[in-house]
Amino acid sequence: MTAAAVEVSGLTRRFGGVTAVDGVSFAVNRGEVFGIIGPNGAGKTTLFNLVTGITPPTSGALFHDGTDITSARPYHVARRGIARTFQNIRLFAELSALENVMIGRHCHTRSGLFSGVFGIGAAAAEERAVRQRGRELLALMGLATKAHVKARNLPYGDQRRLEIARALALDPKVLLLDEPAAGMNPTEKAALSDFLRRLRADFDLTLLIIEHHVPLVMGLCDRIAVLDFGRLIALGDPETVRRDPAVVEAYLGEEG
Amino acid sequence: MLDFLNSQGTVYVSMVLGAVLGLSLYLPLLAGQLSLASPGFYALGGFVAAVMSTKTFDVDGAYPVPLVLVEFVVAAALCGVLAFIVGLAALRLSGIYLALATIAFVEVLRVFSLNLELTGGAVGIFAIPQPFGTQLSYLWLAGPLLIAAALFTWRLEKVRVGRAFAAVREDELAAASMGVDVTRAKITAFVLGGVLAGLAGVIAAHQINTWSHRQASFDASIAYLAFVLIGGSRTFLGPVAGGLFLTYLPEWLREQAKHEFLPTWAAEFLRTGRFIVYGVLLAASCVFFPRGLITPELLDRLKRIGRRRSGSGGQSVRPEPEVAT
Repeated sequence: MTAAAVEVSGLTRRFGGVTAVDGVSFAVNRGEVFGIIGPNGAGKTTLFNLVTGITPPTSGALFHDGTDITSARPYHVARRGIARTFQNIRLFAELSALENVMIGRHCHTRSGLFSGVFGIGAAAAEERAVRQRGRELLALMGLATKAHVKARNLPYGDQRRLEIARALALDPKVLLLDEPAAGMNPTEKAALSDFLRRLRADFDLTLLIIEHHVPLVMGLCDRIAVLDFGRLIALGDPETVRRDPAVVEAYLGEEG
Repeated sequence: MLDFLNSQGTVYVSMVLGAVLGLSLYLPLLAGQLSLASPGFYALGGFVAAVMSTKTFDVDGAYPVPLVLVEFVVAAALCGVLAFIVGLAALRLSGIYLALATIAFVEVLRVFSLNLELTGGAVGIFAIPQPFGTQLSYLWLAGPLLIAAALFTWRLEKVRVGRAFAAVREDELAAASMGVDVTRAKITAFVLGGVLAGLAGVIAAHQINTWSHRQASFDASIAYLAFVLIGGSRTFLGPVAGGLFLTYLPEWLREQAKHEFLPTWAAEFLRTGRFIVYGVLLAASCVFFPRGLITPELLDRLKRIGRRRSGSGGQSVRPEPEVAT
């Protein structure tokens, strides 16, 4: 029996009087594409922040591969192989695309302050390897020609792709994507769907995706969790979720 | 010629130390931490040199340079440990609050040194033995320190630890999500700045022969900040140029005060108005050069002009980085 890639159990987060995430429990299997949908303010991004250690939970527990990571710091979570992108793109704006991706290699490299500065021992070779890997990932995301462009000067779509490249640099086992299709046109959305499937296969990933665009989620995800006012109101394969009366009422009302 | 250089020796050494102190502020800034603690560590380094050379080592005649190197090691260790402890507490703050906390730290050190017997109380420590016969010779210590510090900083920005600093500066939350230990990066940057300021203090204490609590002053905090802000805070050449230029400026103004055609008030202003000049420059640079005089963009442009001059046909092998304007 293999442990779930990510398991949340009774996860709750209150901000003052508001309960953003309210007793949510589910387990994401390894290799699964797991969608999280829900109306605005349903607690989806808060859930991502809880999973990545950015926001500590008020109560409940969090597991990765069977290990309790409830109180792990964000960089510990990242080092365990959980990478993410952000809803409102958070690149290192003043750094080049290549440097952004190279920072993603931080936890897979060892060179310290002095060995790095003086380029002694393994540090020089490591630096070359990091640069090489950075270029590969940029190429994978179609950004090979933009390695030296500052992140903030990239067009929106490239910034979204660069965020994925940076997350992949962590060699993640689990990748959390917060609205990856935001701002894309229908053609780009279809391409993204194919791309994410390929990514899962090539990198042996488990994907957690927050997405508003229902057709994309329905087409891409193996299972979907629906949040409403912080509560998990439905969980299952796309077809089950689509027919669930609670979901229809809360979210898909007009389509039902 | 040598006479002239020697008469100006004090100024040159101060300029070089000014550049080092500019770098000591720039290092924490690499990780996005605006720290004004440098004068505190500078004073501490100076006291280490003053106490060790007058009380620990009692040497007749010229003070041996190797002993100065021993003082370097002790000052670096002491400043490093203190910076680590202070950093652990202060780096929970950010931006202007951190700046205020570091000013308070400098003041605490100053009051300590004002009241401790070891540091000579209000009078300070004087007759600090000198390793060199002329002021200019201090460049043998200050010059290598500046070069080493500048090369270190330049390299740092290109490697793993420096990239982590930049990530923290750009976006702490994203840096943490990429596996960067944010607290560790901040403290490392803060300690580096503290150690460097302490080393500058060791040289300065010998050079100016006397050392007291007045070295750790709020004025100094602002002066070093001006080095970085006016020189430029996005390349290590900024604080170096700022430190050299802004340390020379008051000396130059003082020279100009000797012209006889100047009315008394103007001459007096040129002699004593150093901080007014700094203030005006600081305000003007915030308006006209918000990123300082020396920016990475300026360096790129200079590099390109240089390449064109050398007539290599302008065909660069690597695609030219697109430059933000």
